[in-house]
Formats: sequence, C-alpha cells, structure tokens
Amino acid sequence: MPAGDLTWGRRFLVCPPTHFGVLYEINPWMHSEVSVDGERARAQWDGLVAALKEAGAEVETIEQDVEVPDLVFTANAGIVSGNTFVPSHFRHPERQPETERFATWFADRDHAVERLPEDLSHEGAGDALPFGADTSPGAPILLSGYRFRSDAAATTPLSVLTGAVVRPIELIDERLYHIDITFCPLDDRHALCAPLGWDRYGTAVIESLVPEPLWLTDEEALSFTANSVVVGTTVLMPHVPPRVGRQLEAWGFDPVAIDVSEFMKAGGACRCLTLALDVDLTGTS
Amino acid sequence: MAATETFALEGHIVDSLILPKVLDLVLESGSDYRLLDVVIGRTPTDPSRAVIEVDAPDEATLAVLAEQLQVQGANPVDSGVAETAPAPADGVAPADFTATTNLATEVRLDGHWLPADRAEMDCTLVVRTTDAGPTVVTTPLHRLVEGDAVVVGSSGVRVIAPERVRGLGGFEFMDSDISTEKPKATQLRALAERLRQAREDGVDVLAVCGPVVIHTGGGPAIARMVRAGWIQRLFAGNGFATHDIESNVMGTSLGIDVTSGGGTEGGHSNHLRVINEIRRHGSIAAAVEAGYITDGVMHACVTEGVPFILGGSVRDDGPLPDTMTDVVAVADRMRDEVAGVGVALMLASTLHAIATGNVLPASVATYCIDINPSVVTKLSDRGSHQAHGIVTDVGPFLGQLADELGA
Repeated sequence: MPAGDLTWGRRFLVCPPTHFGVLYEINPWMHSEVSVDGERARAQWDGLVAALKEAGAEVETIEQDVEVPDLVFTANAGIVSGNTFVPSHFRHPERQPETERFATWFADRDHAVERLPEDLSHEGAGDALPFGADTSPGAPILLSGYRFRSDAAATTPLSVLTGAVVRPIELIDERLYHIDITFCPLDDRHALCAPLGWDRYGTAVIESLVPEPLWLTDEEALSFTANSVVVGTTVLMPHVPPRVGRQLEAWGFDPVAIDVSEFMKAGGACRCLTLALDVDLTGTS
Repeated sequence: MAATETFALEGHIVDSLILPKVLDLVLESGSDYRLLDVVIGRTPTDPSRAVIEVDAPDEATLAVLAEQLQVQGANPVDSGVAETAPAPADGVAPADFTATTNLATEVRLDGHWLPADRAEMDCTLVVRTTDAGPTVVTTPLHRLVEGDAVVVGSSGVRVIAPERVRGLGGFEFMDSDISTEKPKATQLRALAERLRQAREDGVDVLAVCGPVVIHTGGGPAIARMVRAGWIQRLFAGNGFATHDIESNVMGTSLGIDVTSGGGTEGGHSNHLRVINEIRRHGSIAAAVEAGYITDGVMHACVTEGVPFILGGSVRDDGPLPDTMTDVVAVADRMRDEVAGVGVALMLASTLHAIATGNVLPASVATYCIDINPSVVTKLSDRGSHQAHGIVTDVGPFLGQLADELGA
C-alpha cells in the first residue's frame, strides 16, 4: 500500500544549539573527551530546520542556556496531546533542570501542564511515539519504551493524563536507550522498526500493530536510521542506507539525508532534535 | 525457606503482553504464582489490573524476581508493617490488639512475612526476639506477660486462606448443609479412608467423646480403635470417663444395663460408686494398674499410652481425680496436645467439641458425628468452618467404623 500522510508532524518545537556540548556521559554514545564543533553543530541544526520548513512544517523555538546543554533534544520535553502537556521526569539528574524550562514554555502558550507522579521517570516523546489511527475512537496507540530512561509504571498515569491508549515496550539494548531510536512511524501502516532494541514481547506487540514494517538491520539500527522525522511523505534521516531508501521510495516516501553528526556525539539525531506539537492522542480533534 | 509476596500490576498490561511477560518471569525464576484478582479494562483506554501472589522457593530468588518485576511495573502490594504495643499487665492485651482466627497467619516485620507458630482462634500475636531473629507466638490472653510486644491493628497482618481439598470421596459434595438424608455407608467409607490417609501421612487422630458414646454402646468400638492405633489423643469430660468405667466395672451406663437396656436395682448410684473407687485408687491409671478397671476406653488409653484430657464442669459428680477442674489449665493442656493432630473426630459431644474447635487450626480435618444436626451448625457458627457433619446415631456408627478399619 502506498504512503499516506501522517496525521501529525506539521508543527515542531526545536531548540537552537547555543549552549550544546557533551558535558557529561549518560548514554553509551557520549564521551566527554569528544568535543563538539559548535559552529558545525549550528550549521547542521540550521540545515535540519530548513529541511523541516521546506517539507512544509512550521517550527517554534525554545532557548537553551549553559545549565541545560541537552535542551536541544526537544523530543524529550514531554508528551503533547491536544492542549495538554505532560513534562518529562528525567532519569538522570543532569537533565532534570530541563523539566521546568519546557513546562514554562508550554504554560506560557496556554497549555494545561499535567504532572506525572514524582517517583516515576518518563522521557517524553523520546520514549513514546503514536502509531496508527484505527482504534475505535480514532486515536493512535502510544508506543512507550521503558527500562533505561522511562518506567513501565509511568505509562498508567501517562494514559490517564493524556487519554492515550499506551502499549509499553521493553527496551533491552542500552545503545538504543529511547524508543525513538528503534521505531519511526511513517504513516498509519508503515514504520521503521529496529527489533534489536526490543524484547520478544515488545517485538510481538509491534508485529501485530504495524501492517507493513521496514525491519532495520542491527547495523542500520545502531546508526540511528530510525531516529528520523516525518513531514507528510518526506522522511528526514541522519543517513539513508540505500536498501532502506529504495524501500521508502517504493512506498512513495521521499527520504532526505540530513547530516546531524555533531549531535550524534551526544546520542541523538533528527527525531531527538524535534518535538511534534500537533499530536492528539485522544482522537477527539 | 519458601517466600511469598503479593504484587500489583496496573495499566495497559494485556495487549502489551506485559501480564504474560510477568507471569513468564515468575515461572522462569522457579517460582509459582496465583492470580488473586484480574480486572480487564472495558475500553482500550481503561487500565487493567492484576494482583499476583508469588511463591518463591527462597528469599534470594524472590528478591531477584522482585527487581525484575519492578522493571515491568509490578510492585509489591503495600501491606504495611505490623505494629506492636506492650501488654500493659500480665494477662492483659493493649486495647486494639489483633485477634487471631484459626487460619494460618503471617505478620510482616522488617519487610518479611513471618508465619505465626500455630493457628488458634481468639488469641493475640506476640513478637518475640530470639537469637535467630523475631518469631511470632500465638498467645491466649491469660498467657500474656506485662511488656510482651503484642501485634495491634490490622496493618502487616494476613491470614492464608486454606486450599479447598478435592477428591476426598464423598465429602466435598456433602458439605453444603447438614442433613439426615445422606447415605451413611458412603460417609462411613470416606471417613475410614481419611483415617487411613492420616496414618499414611503420620498425623495423629484426636477423638473428642461425649457420654452418649457410652450410652449408645460405642465404647467398645472406641477402645478397639485406640488399641489398633487409630486414635492417638482423647479429650472428654468427667461423664464420659465415669460411664466408660461404670459400663466395664458394673455393666451399666448411668444405671442402665448396656446389654439388655433395662434398669437395674440401685443403678442410679452406680456411677457414684465407681467414682468413689477411682478416688480411692488415686487415679484412673492406678485403678487400671490395680486391676479394678479391666477393659474399656480409659483402660485402652492407659495401657496404650494414649494421652487423655478430662475437662471438668460445674455439674460434675465426684469428680474423678483425673478430671481437671481449672478450665484455663484444661484449655492450656488441650493446646499442647493438639500439636501433631491432623484429624479430629467430634463424637456426640457439644461442649467439648466446641472447646476443642477453639484450639484447633482450621487445617485440621474435623468430623462431627452427632444425631443432632445443630451441633455441627454450632461448631461452624463459632468459627470451625472446616467441620464436616455426619448426622447419625453415634454408637452403631462407631461399631461399623471400627469394623471398616479392621480394628
């Protein structure tokens, strides 16, 4: 079946990398002895934003400061559902100052900010991606990764706060520590899938949910192929493996390679640098 | 030692396969589980909930498993921690003490469930510290000592519901009510089978006898069962022992000839004369030794070394020197003697049956044989829900039971 438009992904929150750097190590990709080229990072980020706009997306920005070098990874801000925003609770203290930065941004723009219980971690859209629109109220299912950064128990309050149907998926490979490094919804039928990151139960759930998956090899998964952003039928990818590119084109998608190598030094690529603002998990809009 | 913990799992756990994953993790650890409660959400957004009791082979396995389950969002149900308060005086519990049932009870201390030493209804739970760690001792009120750490409130206390035992012949389908219209032969064979099972399991059988056992001619059958090793304890009162001895020494029970059923000259005083003779000998055992008692249930108990407890009452004649008149002391003796008992036979006795029911754990299979159905009802009403009833005339029934057992 050919590509259909994703119902969300036309409006994104991004953060210009004015204070980005690898200043601590909280995932296997981060090495604080590796320096980030600030100018290069800014140029790559500008390229990503230009590509988003060119594909037809609107972009809003939040500013970072020296205390929050990873604020550029706006996917981890929280969960957006309609006018509701549930800010993340970060596992690592290094990123915890980001929570109030994002909460304030959304509150200032008239969102209802709903809080998760204090003792549970959940790292926002980085660990929760909507897929499909075929449930009875027309709502997508929110696939939520857990283990390394988010707690399985957090998905219950998340469902209550957002009205979403949640399928928790256990992540088993620390290199693929967020679900958005293992899964990329392309439309209601297609998705990039990296089973390297999931246990057999999670794999079974995704197999039953995704009619036409594009299974990524381990090598493709570990080069962040799934950490891509979709705008309509345009797929912005940190790189396009030829095999994957051919399949995407065959389905009618337009894969575009965006160099974000400076950000991959911190373990994040295209998806991590964006937060979709036009997601509605309740199916009521 | 086996370790048990209850976990709650909530959320979208069914379609996400988290519930089957959690159950798989339990089994893979070598543990077993029981689903105490499962509520499946009605719509896709409704959360589901499962309460899972996990039986692990040991504490270490449980600790590792608990960590794995926590990752899946399954957390131990907060049962709280047991609180204690000091007994304010000897024989007095703190006002809000936890009262026990006859079911196995566990108390949560230091994050672990500790089983109470034994199950007895209407007692207190005392936490004692030993070199091997804390223990929980089921303690009747009168045995409390000032300062004892008595468990109070209901936090951190749980009772373990008994598993329904199936396949015990005729009994499981006859428990719903006590009826005179049950096939006695089936009940008899099932009871005999249960006694054989007790022998095989190495657990003891307790007989609690009323004087009617003697009046209706069941004495010789009980004596045969004692001699053949089918009964290891006897609880009764002054009347039972007196009439058992009277029937063997004088041939009457309360003055009535046990063979002909007719009255005898001066028979109304026969039992008093027997009591008087036993008092002269000093004890039933001494009377057996001296050859005054040559047969019967008490004779069998003495010669076979089967412990017996005779609990006195206000209306007793005599009483026999063996009859204990301090009722608190009787209850304490009974508590000591029920250890190791697996089957209890309540034979045409109302008051002693209820008294025994009070000190028996619910795990003891209890058979109440009485011509009056209300005795079984009364036992159940007082908390001994495990009692099975056989409504029949006890004398002939015991004769058939002894025959069935080949005693």
